Amino acid sequence: MNEAPIVRRMRVVEGILGACFILLALRLIFLHTRPDPSRVRKADASSRFVRIQPAPRGRIYDGSRTPVLLAASVARKDLCADPFILHQRTNVAAAVALLAPFLNQPASRLEERLANSSNRFVYLQRHLPEEIAEPIWQAISNAGLHRSYGIYLRDSTFRKYPHGDHLCHVIGFASRDVVERGLAGVELVFDRYLQGVPGVIRGRRDAFSTELYTLREDETPPVPGADLYLTVDGTIQYFAEEAIEEAIIAHRAKGAWAIVQRCHTGEILAMASRPAFDLNRFSESSADQRTNRAISIVYEPGSIFKPVVLALAFERKLVTPSQVFDCESGSWFHEGRILRDYHPYARLSVADILKKSSNIGTAKIALLLGNEYFYEGARGFGYGRRLGIELPNEEAGILWSPRSPNWSRLTCSRMAIGQGVAVTALQMAGMMSAIANGGYLLRPWAVRRVVAADGTVLKQGEPEVLARPISAETSALMRYLLTRVTEEGGTGTRARIEGYRVAGKTGTAQKVVQGRYSETDYVASFAGFFPADQPEITVVVGVDEPQPFHTGGVVAAPVFARIALQTARYLALKPCSLDNESSIP
Amino acid sequence: MRRTSQAVLIVVAMLVGIGMLTLASATGYKGVAEKGDPFWYVRLQAIYLAFGIVLSTGAAFFDYHWLRSKPLLIFLAVLTVGLLLLVFVPGVGVAVKGSRRWIRVFGLGRVQPSEFAKLTVVILLSAWMALKGRKAENLREGLIIPLGVLGMILLLILAEPDLGTTVLLAATGVILLVAGGSRKSHLLVSGVLGICGLVLMVLQDPVRMKRLLAFARPDGYADARYQLTQSENAFFLGGIWGKGYGEGLQKMGFLPEAHNDFIFAVLGEELGLLATVGVVVLFALLTFLGLKISRRAPDRFGCLLALGLTSLLALEAIINIGVVTGCLPTKGLALPFMSAGGSSLISSLLAIGMLLNVARHGEGTDVHTRLSGEFDEQTLNQAFHPAGGRC
Repeated sequence: MNEAPIVRRMRVVEGILGACFILLALRLIFLHTRPDPSRVRKADASSRFVRIQPAPRGRIYDGSRTPVLLAASVARKDLCADPFILHQRTNVAAAVALLAPFLNQPASRLEERLANSSNRFVYLQRHLPEEIAEPIWQAISNAGLHRSYGIYLRDSTFRKYPHGDHLCHVIGFASRDVVERGLAGVELVFDRYLQGVPGVIRGRRDAFSTELYTLREDETPPVPGADLYLTVDGTIQYFAEEAIEEAIIAHRAKGAWAIVQRCHTGEILAMASRPAFDLNRFSESSADQRTNRAISIVYEPGSIFKPVVLALAFERKLVTPSQVFDCESGSWFHEGRILRDYHPYARLSVADILKKSSNIGTAKIALLLGNEYFYEGARGFGYGRRLGIELPNEEAGILWSPRSPNWSRLTCSRMAIGQGVAVTALQMAGMMSAIANGGYLLRPWAVRRVVAADGTVLKQGEPEVLARPISAETSALMRYLLTRVTEEGGTGTRARIEGYRVAGKTGTAQKVVQGRYSETDYVASFAGFFPADQPEITVVVGVDEPQPFHTGGVVAAPVFARIALQTARYLALKPCSLDNESSIP
Repeated sequence: MRRTSQAVLIVVAMLVGIGMLTLASATGYKGVAEKGDPFWYVRLQAIYLAFGIVLSTGAAFFDYHWLRSKPLLIFLAVLTVGLLLLVFVPGVGVAVKGSRRWIRVFGLGRVQPSEFAKLTVVILLSAWMALKGRKAENLREGLIIPLGVLGMILLLILAEPDLGTTVLLAATGVILLVAGGSRKSHLLVSGVLGICGLVLMVLQDPVRMKRLLAFARPDGYADARYQLTQSENAFFLGGIWGKGYGEGLQKMGFLPEAHNDFIFAVLGEELGLLATVGVVVLFALLTFLGLKISRRAPDRFGCLLALGLTSLLALEAIINIGVVTGCLPTKGLALPFMSAGGSSLISSLLAIGMLLNVARHGEGTDVHTRLSGEFDEQTLNQAFHPAGGRC
């Protein structure tokens, strides 16, 4: 080597720098060709996102000619926060001070929610309407807080029930989750139809969770849920609700219920139950308020059960209407127990047994039926089983089989007067409709149509015969006999309405309290149909624990009359002609 | 030497070209988000580039020996120290993320004095070492005075704080001292002392300590290592062929400073192995061309100046790429010619201008043989400076 020191030293520098470049090139080759698969996956996933777009839940309409909206989901915004990011990038106290005036919440509450800095998600306020959300977002943007991505608005929907407690037990309610799920009523039963299919957006996002629109991979728009059209008519429902509410006040009752049904189709036109609750505040309601008394409460029906006995007896031709029974002057010793009548009678025809509601007479007829036929016949009228209305929590009631150990020697005579059997109001309506329509037990139904967002009808409700307990002749006879109940001398005179003849039966059932029949707690009920000659509408009314008056004829029949009259006027039913007095066929 | 100069120009043009392309891709997103214009940063960089080309053309065509004049050197030193001090003047200095590295200059935006301090240091040290010649073996001329000057500037930069530039300048200074003829024993002792100082610096600064620990033990310091992880991921995601120009996602906020210190990672993700190794090769080529110019410089000053400028650029590229590829702990150093930022681009182009200036004077003269033979400073000096004056 014949170099100057400076050149020699430069060679060293050159060598070191060259070596560095070679090492860097090797490092690059290593990085590019041998990526760590788990880190690649993680890095790739960090820019991906899947956003579920909630599908608007279907609407619910009533069954009137111009359907009235009963439930709908409206677009709202949820104000959300990421406390983790907020704590890292911004001043939480400043954010709280900014938001508190808008949100109607004390600052301390907001601070509390944002306190946990490892938390990645909290709701600050849910379901903000656009007109409130907009100024909030403006304020956030003006303060520059939006750039931290720690506070953001998210689309959501909010289920609104514009009529509050109107029809609350039938409509039910949906959860306030991101995807609203039906929790009660038709909201629950038809949840599958109402829900719709959420939309999905798949794509890429930047590090601040802002979507990179050009890299969107998949976008499936949400399919709105199907709309529900009920059979229930809002106006008739209103009549029923008003009537039972006033009855509760007038009779200091614990509760009341009413069902209005088209007797030829089984459609439910009204189903009212009180006490009720505001659907918009369902979370504040009690279980008692949420109970749909029309289908979920079982009670011993009392005298209202008697038409079953008579109808079955006529069907087998075991008795005729004019046949006379000894009513034992109001006290009959049978199978070791005394059976009493409310008003003592010596002798009554079968027709009058019904009209005067004689316990002894009815019990004697029931004994003619025989246990097995009585049981089968009662089942044929829909007792002891669910009728299959499209509502949750329908009770089956209790109807003992003669073969079951619960059936005693007394059962036949006691069941005849509506004791030892438990029913729902819906079963009473089914029975009355069967008597009214020529003997067909129809399935009660509350949903007329399910219509998809594109207009296709997904489900169409239609009448369905469940059983035929009696013939048309028996049915006609029973119609006549039940009409007599509301005539002078009958127990249901207060059920009469102007212009229409009404058929029906009163019921005054003692409630069982601590295993004994109570002397003070009754269920007063009335079930009937009108116009009696050409029946259209069945109405069942029940009042729970009325005080001090407690008989069906005094408490429930006027409620029936009120609902029936308004309904008849509303539906413009043909009044009975004056000269056409009905007679025994 | 004409061909060497041309080669340097081509290499630099390619680096600038690749840099602008990568920058356009890396800042499109940022530009839209912050300025509403995807080309905002590219346009700004193009203006800096135009400035840089004008200034570096000027730097290439005066006689670099003027730089040896004492008043000019003193002026440069005072100017540099003054600018570095201005950084700390409230209202003039601008602090970003806790570092006061910039001063606000009316009409030009933010200027980073340390970028120009690098050139000053190289000029001052080359001039001093060339002036002292054989005396550099003395402790006073070879070590204490140059290290004193260097140390003063380094302390100012370190105080900003800007450890990256400090380390870079220290390394460049050491190379100049080594080449300039300081004694190895002197250098060794001061080198050990310097490293000790550096270690102390790091130990007393929790942020740096964390960065270093994150580099050494990746698992334990996840958040401190975030930048490095994201940077390495960019190369992983790019693979051999890259995702394609403009298709990278790491620049979308995942990789901090994607347009700046980490622009090389964007290149890696989008254009793959060929581009990244290509850039390394280009920097290596520039280094060898620069060292060739240095060896063929007409005199000792030109030789040291070219060496200093080349080392400066080469070391900056090595440190930057080393950081981005996860070989070195995180530093705030730009990649010459490619990173966004006017000060860095203009000072790098100025360095190239001066390098070409040296090359131009080396033209037609077989200085290499003179240098490689018995070196006679006096003869050499007279050959190029008939007017005389001590060398």
